[in-house]
Amino acid sequence: MAKVSSRITILKGITFVALAIITVRLFAIQIIEHDEWVAKANEQHTLLETITARRGEIYMMDGEEPVPVVLNQTAYQIVIDPAITDKESLKNTLETYAKDYISADLDKIYSIEGLRYYVVARNVPYRSAKQIAEKVENGELSSVWLKSSNQRVYPEGELGSTLLGFVNADGIGQYGVEGSLNKVLSGKDGMLKTISDVNNVALSIGSDNVKIPAEDGKNIVLSVDRGLERVVEDALAHHIDNTAATNAAALVMNPNTGEILAMTSLPGYDPADYGRVESAATYINQVTEVPYEPASICKNFAFSAAINEGKMTAETTYFNQGYEIVDGWKIMNAEQRESIYGAITMKTALYWSLNTGSIHALKLLGDSDSEITRVGRERLYDYYHNKFRLGQATGIELIEAEGYIEDPNEGWGRNSTYANMTFGQNLGITMLQTATAFSAVVNGGYWRTPTIVKGVLEKDGSINANWRRVARRPEGEESATGPAAYSEDIVEDHILSEETSATMRDMLVNNRNYKVRGGIDRPGYSIGGKSGTAQVIVNGAYDNTMSNLVGSYIGFISSGNELPEVVIMVKMWGEGAALSGGEAGDLFDTLSNDVIDYLKIKPVL
Amino acid sequence: MRKHKSDLGILFATLALMALGLVVIYAIGPMRANVLNSTYGTSYDPNYFFIGQLRSVLLSLVAFFVAFKVIPYKYIQKFAKPMIIVAIGLSIMLWILAKSGSSLAKCELGECRWFNLGAVSFQPAEFLKLALVIYLADFFARKREANEIGKIKEFWLPLGLISILSLGLVVIAQGDLGTGVALISIILGTLLVSGVSTKQYLITLTVLLVGSVLAIATSTHRMERINAWIDTIQGAEVTDSTYHIENAMLAIGTGGFAGVGIGNSVQATGYLPESINDSVFAIMGETFGFVGLFLVVMVFGALLIRMLKVASHTAPPDQRFIVVGVFSWTLAQFAVNIMAMTGLIPVTGITLPLLSYGGTSMIFLAYALGLVLQISCYTSREEITDENISSRRRIGGSYHPSARRHS
Repeated sequence: MAKVSSRITILKGITFVALAIITVRLFAIQIIEHDEWVAKANEQHTLLETITARRGEIYMMDGEEPVPVVLNQTAYQIVIDPAITDKESLKNTLETYAKDYISADLDKIYSIEGLRYYVVARNVPYRSAKQIAEKVENGELSSVWLKSSNQRVYPEGELGSTLLGFVNADGIGQYGVEGSLNKVLSGKDGMLKTISDVNNVALSIGSDNVKIPAEDGKNIVLSVDRGLERVVEDALAHHIDNTAATNAAALVMNPNTGEILAMTSLPGYDPADYGRVESAATYINQVTEVPYEPASICKNFAFSAAINEGKMTAETTYFNQGYEIVDGWKIMNAEQRESIYGAITMKTALYWSLNTGSIHALKLLGDSDSEITRVGRERLYDYYHNKFRLGQATGIELIEAEGYIEDPNEGWGRNSTYANMTFGQNLGITMLQTATAFSAVVNGGYWRTPTIVKGVLEKDGSINANWRRVARRPEGEESATGPAAYSEDIVEDHILSEETSATMRDMLVNNRNYKVRGGIDRPGYSIGGKSGTAQVIVNGAYDNTMSNLVGSYIGFISSGNELPEVVIMVKMWGEGAALSGGEAGDLFDTLSNDVIDYLKIKPVL
Repeated sequence: MRKHKSDLGILFATLALMALGLVVIYAIGPMRANVLNSTYGTSYDPNYFFIGQLRSVLLSLVAFFVAFKVIPYKYIQKFAKPMIIVAIGLSIMLWILAKSGSSLAKCELGECRWFNLGAVSFQPAEFLKLALVIYLADFFARKREANEIGKIKEFWLPLGLISILSLGLVVIAQGDLGTGVALISIILGTLLVSGVSTKQYLITLTVLLVGSVLAIATSTHRMERINAWIDTIQGAEVTDSTYHIENAMLAIGTGGFAGVGIGNSVQATGYLPESINDSVFAIMGETFGFVGLFLVVMVFGALLIRMLKVASHTAPPDQRFIVVGVFSWTLAQFAVNIMAMTGLIPVTGITLPLLSYGGTSMIFLAYALGLVLQISCYTSREEITDENISSRRRIGGSYHPSARRHS
């Protein structure tokens, strides 16, 4: 029975058993299962973090100097642990310093059981964030963290919004330059692979840490001139206010280089608050993304084709009876004055924008003076589609729609379709395609790929023009770094003879004789232009009530009789509104004078 | 008994463990501070925990040597009753303060275990352990003397009352199951050597087992821990409740044979809860590997076995009970903590003696070990084998000189 020594021996036994169990257990965990636990530990401890590349900024030109129009700014998110934060004090602090940025209903957040992480404020600017951070440091607030993020700021507000696009909440560029040059602007994120603590803070412990630094995005300089962009938007806004138009779009380009000097469509939006638009359609760049029918503006292309093929001259005459019947359709001229019935020249036909004139050019193109022929259609197609590259993306560094040019032979009613195409209906082309083709008509016959990127702004302030075509680098092609070698994408195609171009310029200047007489076009300049009034397809057919029309105008400005320095195209429209080429012409008149002033184009008297 | 040199094994094991605790806290304290600072926005200095541990170790050393050299056991014994009354009184006071919402009661995660005394806090349960060891030693000795061991009214009733009161205060009022386990171990350990009959001892064990099962089954919180433990050993997905055990074993497992080295612990950077307190063993496993943990376990083993050796060579029953009480206390905390960290038993929240960060627990245990060391100076050469209650009872209550030595 109960001997002290035997009872103590029991305790000794218990001790040895415990020691043995523990030792065996430790051996099992540390030696036998070691690899298993290491694998689990790596899974838990390894932090794979992207080092976010800084997004490139966007510049426009101000004369010869690049000026920023899209900048980065650090903004902060405020994150709380609702379970342990001092609720009242946090609420007061937020309402005092960051009221406009609170993104959550605090009372609701507080009432959620078990919630340990919540973003309660976003886009908090540095100054407010700093005041809150100080409170956290002083211990007045606890369980509150500030996380920095990059935010776009727009010193010029809504200027060029449909051209520039915006950056969405995920940091991805949407629409405009932000969308099309997203890859170049975003750069390349780096990577950090490291052992981290429980809060994902990287530790210096461990040997296989990897750090690939981020490649920051490029600062893009657009060829667009900030001041000119402002001038154009002001003029458009003014004409929207004073006409039935609700929308207007315009572009100004250098026809000799293809550089875009201004491009806009109104109404725009505030890219810093891009969510506040009524419809996503507002984001669309009407100049490049929307094919339409520029109407009589296309007569320039039909005429150029016939002249360039040697089938007609400005003085070639035809018999105008005010209408033409093709495939059983009666195509009327818009202008029906007595004085222009009978035999008139092509120049007169263009002046009065007669549909019978451009149909006659198509006949001549097909080696006939009485009917539209297969050869004529095929030649017109060759000019429209292959030479003027209508219905095809131009290759500009922007998001583009292609549009369409009907096949010359396939399909029903080819003659009427092609007759319509001579005055810019029955096709779909963008304003940019139209203006680029028109540039070829007036610049001596050269079709050049339009561009909106001047280059990349280097650290030393110089503009590296090698980057101009960087946007066209195919998706998936390695790295957006290094000079772009995509010159094969930049087209310079001599599609019309110098003489054809000169003839066209003469006729286009002739079109505006009355503007000179009216004192609108100043002396010392050659300003040529052509209007277009397009019927709109309503419920699958052209609306013959003429209550819904899109007005366009395209023209060029030369100093004296030199080659044109600028091509300007405008478009005006509105839901249920009838906008004629005449009203678009008025807008052009305003713009042409503004552009002469802004660019200081010298008159030759 | 003539005084001789103390037991060096106990002395060195105690000092070695305290020193090791300091090294570990020195290595992981800054990580702990960093985790707390970045998670809760506090601003602990990187050396905060090391300085705290250094202070605890210094105070513990003072307590250790005071118990060892300064205050003779006979004075302590005189205060056995007042001490247990004060200890229980303090726990009752804490309970009342906590109930009334006083700021003097310091609560964490809903459990109020500390007195808040401004800069320092004090955990009465730790004092209760020491007081209980001293009281039970005295109590069993007196009952032995009076030949009342095993009698219902004289023995079981007071023992039962004091046990239930202590356990109730600690486990129910303070929600401190870990200390409860230590108290039960102290009671069972000293009772075993008190001279109680095997039959009565087994009945006690059975009653306690049934009581424990009921206590666990009636508490959802305790059942959760049991379930979490079962989930972990079955290798289930890590959930909030299995997280602690899983990460403790992860730390120990990654340590491998030789460990990742001082300052290279990743689990201490916030993954493992209570990394400097209850989980310090796991961090040591990660840092020092199997070799290190094996040594630590052996040092504890040596400490425990040396204490039993002292007990078996201590003639005065009250002193022997003290040594066995301290042994039971140390064994309980050591074994329960390590077994919890290695997934052998559910996590209960108990500190690893002398190694875990913390003031009160270390100081009182140090005092208790000091007391053992003092007693070790009076051991006899031979094992005590003639202490047979049954035979004594049969002889009829012969006078036992050593039991009255201090009275």
